Amino acid sequence: MADVTLTVDGKTITAPAGTLLLEACRKVGIEIPAFCYYPGLSLQAACRMCLVRIEKMPKLQTACTTQVTEGMIVATDTDEIHQARKAMLELVLANHPLDCPVCDAGGECELQDMTFKYGAGGSQFVEIKNHREEQQWSPVVFFDRPRCILCYRCVRVCNEGMDVAALGIQQRNSGSVIAPNDQTQLDCEQCGMCIDICPVGALTSDTYRYKTRPWEMTHVGTICTHCGDGCKTTLGVRRSDDGMQIVRGDNRDKSGLNGEFLCVKGRYAFDFANNEERLTQPLVRQPNGEFAPVTWEDAIKIVAQKFRVARDDRGGASIGVIGSTRNTNEEAYLLQKVARSAFGTNNIDHHRTTDYVALTRALAGKKHRMASIADAGSAPAIFVLGNDPTEQHPLLAWNLRTNVRHNSARIYLANHRDIKLQRQAKSSIQIPADGYAAFARFLGGEENSVFGEDAKALRDALRNEPSLLIVFGSELRGSAIDALAEFGLSLPDTKFACLGDYVNSRGAADMGLYPDLLPGYVPIEQEGGLRAEYGGRMSQQAGLDVAQMFEAAARNELAVLYVVGDDPAERLGVDADALRNTFVVVQDMFMTATAKLADVVLPTSNLYEKSGTVTNTFGDLQLVKKAADRAGVRSDLELIVRIADTMGEDVHALVPFGKGVRADMGQSRGVQSGEADRHGIWLAAHNLEPKLSPFDPNAVLDEIQRLVPGYNFDRMELLAGTSQHVDADGSGVMEISRFANRPDGAMPSADTLFTSGTLGHYSEKLNEVETFQAKKSMVAAD
Amino acid sequence: MSIVRDLAAVAKGMSVTFGEIFQPTEVENYPDGPGPFRGAKFEERYRGRHVLQRDENGLEKCVACFLCAAACPSNCIHIEAAENTAEQRISSAERYAKVYNIDYNRCIFCGYCVEACPTDAITHGHGFELSSLNTTSLVMRKEDLLAPMPDSPAKLESSTQ
Repeated sequence: MADVTLTVDGKTITAPAGTLLLEACRKVGIEIPAFCYYPGLSLQAACRMCLVRIEKMPKLQTACTTQVTEGMIVATDTDEIHQARKAMLELVLANHPLDCPVCDAGGECELQDMTFKYGAGGSQFVEIKNHREEQQWSPVVFFDRPRCILCYRCVRVCNEGMDVAALGIQQRNSGSVIAPNDQTQLDCEQCGMCIDICPVGALTSDTYRYKTRPWEMTHVGTICTHCGDGCKTTLGVRRSDDGMQIVRGDNRDKSGLNGEFLCVKGRYAFDFANNEERLTQPLVRQPNGEFAPVTWEDAIKIVAQKFRVARDDRGGASIGVIGSTRNTNEEAYLLQKVARSAFGTNNIDHHRTTDYVALTRALAGKKHRMASIADAGSAPAIFVLGNDPTEQHPLLAWNLRTNVRHNSARIYLANHRDIKLQRQAKSSIQIPADGYAAFARFLGGEENSVFGEDAKALRDALRNEPSLLIVFGSELRGSAIDALAEFGLSLPDTKFACLGDYVNSRGAADMGLYPDLLPGYVPIEQEGGLRAEYGGRMSQQAGLDVAQMFEAAARNELAVLYVVGDDPAERLGVDADALRNTFVVVQDMFMTATAKLADVVLPTSNLYEKSGTVTNTFGDLQLVKKAADRAGVRSDLELIVRIADTMGEDVHALVPFGKGVRADMGQSRGVQSGEADRHGIWLAAHNLEPKLSPFDPNAVLDEIQRLVPGYNFDRMELLAGTSQHVDADGSGVMEISRFANRPDGAMPSADTLFTSGTLGHYSEKLNEVETFQAKKSMVAAD
Repeated sequence: MSIVRDLAAVAKGMSVTFGEIFQPTEVENYPDGPGPFRGAKFEERYRGRHVLQRDENGLEKCVACFLCAAACPSNCIHIEAAENTAEQRISSAERYAKVYNIDYNRCIFCGYCVEACPTDAITHGHGFELSSLNTTSLVMRKEDLLAPMPDSPAKLESSTQ
């Protein structure tokens, strides 16, 4: 739209016509206070804090609902306005309890800030405040009614942002009350957005309430360890008896690719880190069958000894390695490098939840066809095939809803279930649960009687889209993805995204945790490149996948199984007998089903307790920062290096450390360094960062950046906290006819909003919420 | 003449001595005096060891707002908060201090914590015997700092008079 020129406080400013006066002022640094205005939500004009004087208008106007017009003359800094703000705050505070010393919001409360800045020192009201007891609305949401200032942000974010409408307003006028629409409890997704968006302490969260104060915590922005969307969650940590304890998760600074959004898992399911069942000592199975704690040195010596003997006596093929979907890229990369170059085995795999290989192969050689998750919030048309984003990819669902609301995006759905996203869809069809592959071919033009007129209409609509984003779930694998990609590539402008389940599912795939593929989906038999780097011990023979490893173990062909942060025994239902003759080493936080079968268990840290990078399912690479700490555990990176070292491998060949400047500039201090280490960012940008120890993930990242196809990102941007889209565009993938019938081996985990694989078992809050939701749905069914 | 002058000087000096001998004693009888401070006397606003006060019902006044810890320039106050329950009520607000430690190795008795306290829970007492050969004994816990529990309402009444 054309620009208009107006005058604010004697200053001439220019803004596009239609801009809200409040936004136009904020852009040029003129602050107009407001409670109820929230960017992205509908306008309310309830709080009256943003009143300004506009010439030729008889009364003060609300800047949050007034659009700028040509020649407008506005005053925001006069005695009249100051008086108006003071009076408004006095009314807001009329029944607001002054319990700031105990209120959770104290110290980060918008009402406190505004009262300091604009408010009066005293109050003219002498009446006794009207007290109401605090209410618990759900396992995570508490409501303190007198603190509420009726800005309606919670109601709007629940209705518009989340499309849940669990909150509403009862009564009218000064008697208005925010209340759950379903009597006394919230019937919702328990996302906690209402708590985060509340400008005061009226809505508080169960995990954080009355625990500490905002300034007592250190706030570290890192990546949520649960689903594959990779939201940034800012963890509030404080000292505890055995390290640094996480007390809160939110994203109020909106610094990540998720903006202000977080779901129940990102906000509350960090408590597994504080679970009392966590292992903190290395355990070794004794001759009597019981575990006994040993020192780290002894445990690593035993493991390294067994690994070396197995490799030297029975060959590399007798060693199996299983990686994790929740570890960093650095750990995944190093694990496969150690497996291939030190153990001499290609028996390496991870919990595959979807088929990234097929998509990479289908898009081989095509640049910029992989979408970023941000594209879901801006693309004009999106086709979601399979999956239930509301349950499994909450950020994707949020982006899609926002896109529809703000940009009138067109969403097309094809699914075998009724999913909640249908409410936003332009067109939605139901297909049989086993009909995804057929539907992909149907889109490409193959006629099929299963699909009726509505499917044909959908296909025609998709064909007419000038620009399309195709997002598909793990229902589509193998050749079905080829068919879909062929259809997509026949359209003028199409991007793709494939939905995997866990935080680093994509990273684990990109880093080559496959028996037949090297990092960047390079086939194992390809000469040069990585093969030259990894040295002569590397085998050219494709290895075993997870299931085959257990079969080999049962046939007594596997001497050693090394499981790093995965729980295959629970997933595959492996019985103890199958591993009778296999030496099993498990690195995990908990005594999982697999750990129970192990000979050595090494307690490790989780994603919140380490540094590195992860890649979300869309290929957005993000920095993970060490937030919490726990005495007695070690990171997987450290353990992999130490085991290789004790085996007698050259650590310098595994991790390129100790190059460049030699001094600790504070990068290794993690949480202790507090805010962003700007000096460290500068050093990193000039490739001068010291990598003093082989446990430094930055050193491994150097090698990833150098060797893994697609990972040519801007290091400085990454370290500054911006996500970087890595386009694994298949430049490393050659003509791979062998892949055409390659088994994808995927086992989708079918997690919901309230489960998170094995890790979910150990989050008390998540389990409590799940029980609460189950009870609610049972009551609703009755 | 000089002898007379010298004697006069001695007499003048001794007159002061003998004059003071018959005045009442002005010295504090510390440490042999009566009372908890063993004869030591203080100005009302002397800043000694802290006392955590209770309200008229015997509940702790401290609500664990952390403002004293935030105000403390020497960072000597450590607090851990917990929530009151219906069965176990420690303070009159929702929250109370589960742990309240003051490290007297670090405290500089500036009084900022007392000024910051919104509930008048922390005050300076007159305790001053804070020397020790063992620094660990100088980290005082909440139990060391709390004002004694009023035994009965009757006693409370008499003590406030």
